[in-house]
Amino acid sequence: MRLLWANFVAIYRKELQGYFATSLNYGIAGVYWLLAGVFYIVVFNAVQTNVAAQDLQGQAGLAAPPVDVPAVILENYLGLLSSLSLFILPLLSMNLFAQERQQGTLELLATSPITTTTVALGKLAGVLTFFLTLLLPVMVYESVTLLQAEPPFSLGLILLGHGALVLLAAAILSLGLFISATTESTLLAAVGTFALILLLWILQAIADRISGAPAAILRHLSLLQNYTNLIQGSVSTASLVLFASYVILGVFLTVQWVDGLRFQRS
Amino acid sequence: MIIVEHLTKRYGTTLAVQDLNFTVGAGEILGFLGPNGAGKTTTMRMLTGYMPPTAGTAKIAGYDVLADSLAVRQRIGYLPETPPLYRDMTVEGYLHFVARIKGVSAGDRPRRVDWVIARCGLSERRQELIRKLSKGFRQRVGIAQAIVHDPPVIILDEPTVGLDPKQIIEVRHLIKSLAGDHTIILSTHILPEVHMTCDRVVIIHQGRVVATDTIDGLVSQLDHCRQYELTLSGPLAPFQQAVGQIPGVEAVQTQSEGDHHVVTVTTKGAAEVGPELAALAIHTGLRLYEMHRHRATLEDVFLQLTTQEEAGEPSAGA
Repeated sequence: MRLLWANFVAIYRKELQGYFATSLNYGIAGVYWLLAGVFYIVVFNAVQTNVAAQDLQGQAGLAAPPVDVPAVILENYLGLLSSLSLFILPLLSMNLFAQERQQGTLELLATSPITTTTVALGKLAGVLTFFLTLLLPVMVYESVTLLQAEPPFSLGLILLGHGALVLLAAAILSLGLFISATTESTLLAAVGTFALILLLWILQAIADRISGAPAAILRHLSLLQNYTNLIQGSVSTASLVLFASYVILGVFLTVQWVDGLRFQRS
Repeated sequence: MIIVEHLTKRYGTTLAVQDLNFTVGAGEILGFLGPNGAGKTTTMRMLTGYMPPTAGTAKIAGYDVLADSLAVRQRIGYLPETPPLYRDMTVEGYLHFVARIKGVSAGDRPRRVDWVIARCGLSERRQELIRKLSKGFRQRVGIAQAIVHDPPVIILDEPTVGLDPKQIIEVRHLIKSLAGDHTIILSTHILPEVHMTCDRVVIIHQGRVVATDTIDGLVSQLDHCRQYELTLSGPLAPFQQAVGQIPGVEAVQTQSEGDHHVVTVTTKGAAEVGPELAALAIHTGLRLYEMHRHRATLEDVFLQLTTQEEAGEPSAGA
């Protein structure tokens, strides 16, 4: 058990060092922070303008329901932030196994006393940590503005919303990990993961347009639907289990595939 | 230390390795020799547990490569054909990482890494990024990662490929110095390499073992015909007549260029005709400039074994 943990930490540290040594990742972080900042200002101002307009209507005698402004800002913003993240995630996951295969280091890992599951989990933890460092500054400026609200807004809601985003990212990255294991080309891995995300969006769109049992099934299995539920504040065990299932599925497929590679001629 | 029995690997319908049997004793260096595509890399991958064999077993230090894969992996160091290097790591960082995943304890790690850096001549490059290293240094880092955890068995797949002659010599010395404490299998298609480093040779061709022996043993198999080459000047005719009379001489060939002659004398069996040839040359008034005995080399053995096999192949298939 201690050995497993030591191996996990070894892979995790190596991955983190890799992320901070790659200049591409600084570019990704820069673009992400720039766009996230711009989106925040846009959402912040748009929601406030809306609310002001509703206030005017209220003064005119049309009773509008009271609006929790910080909550609306956070919900709208997290919706946008998830879309932005989905564009970035394939770039983070593309290197995970494709690069190991390309530079032949998979042979080192496969002939070391370390299980493929440990490698996959270490890599997933590494990329998630990098994604978390992307989110941290964003959370800081959200907290600075939203916690000024009167009546006071709870920090817990901000954490919950971003926790949901991390879960969504974990599920996507885990599947991206698998896609990255299926090819030696990082470009193909990125394109494949992006196609997967598009598919998720399409399934969501289909679920919104049909009704009955198929729609219900799609909605239950949809990562995006469950993410939306979470950021709206309705935390259900079913959603958490679903995200965990996607993560486990991704890791499981990765391990099967990587172990299966040994049977192929290279 | 290493026992290979009936090891077979099949890719679809092609047999890459067929019924391989050999053993390697502790502390021995075994050369694994064969032309490109003979199945060397496949065999090594099976020995490291990277690839499962289709049939047969391989045991390393008593552990089966398939059933006790993790135990085997703890006991081997492996340098694949292309050194498995992370280009964005420093030499030292990389070796620390490898030591960690090979299970070297945290207390031993700095000592082991320092040792291997000194041993592989990497002291001046320890802080450099691997992608900035030349090919020779990368190969050394590759060897360093294979021995950093002090494994009892070291498997090296073409360790000197792509190096310049000076580096090749350094790497050979390094390998040679590791013998004794470690059991080493090394694959190559470069014959002098085997000559210089290995105790024993397994020659494989088209996935099958065609010979297993010590180098001297292999060479002596072919050594029943010897050739002497003499460089002479002067009147040749008396010498040519007399040389046929010496017992054991089978054939004489002469190449003349003006007054200079190169005479090749082929003998049969173990006859030692050198002294007689020299005496005869002097006796017949020739001037002897050079004389040497040509013995069968590993090249000859290798070529004979691998071409025989090819010639035998169509009839076997028919």
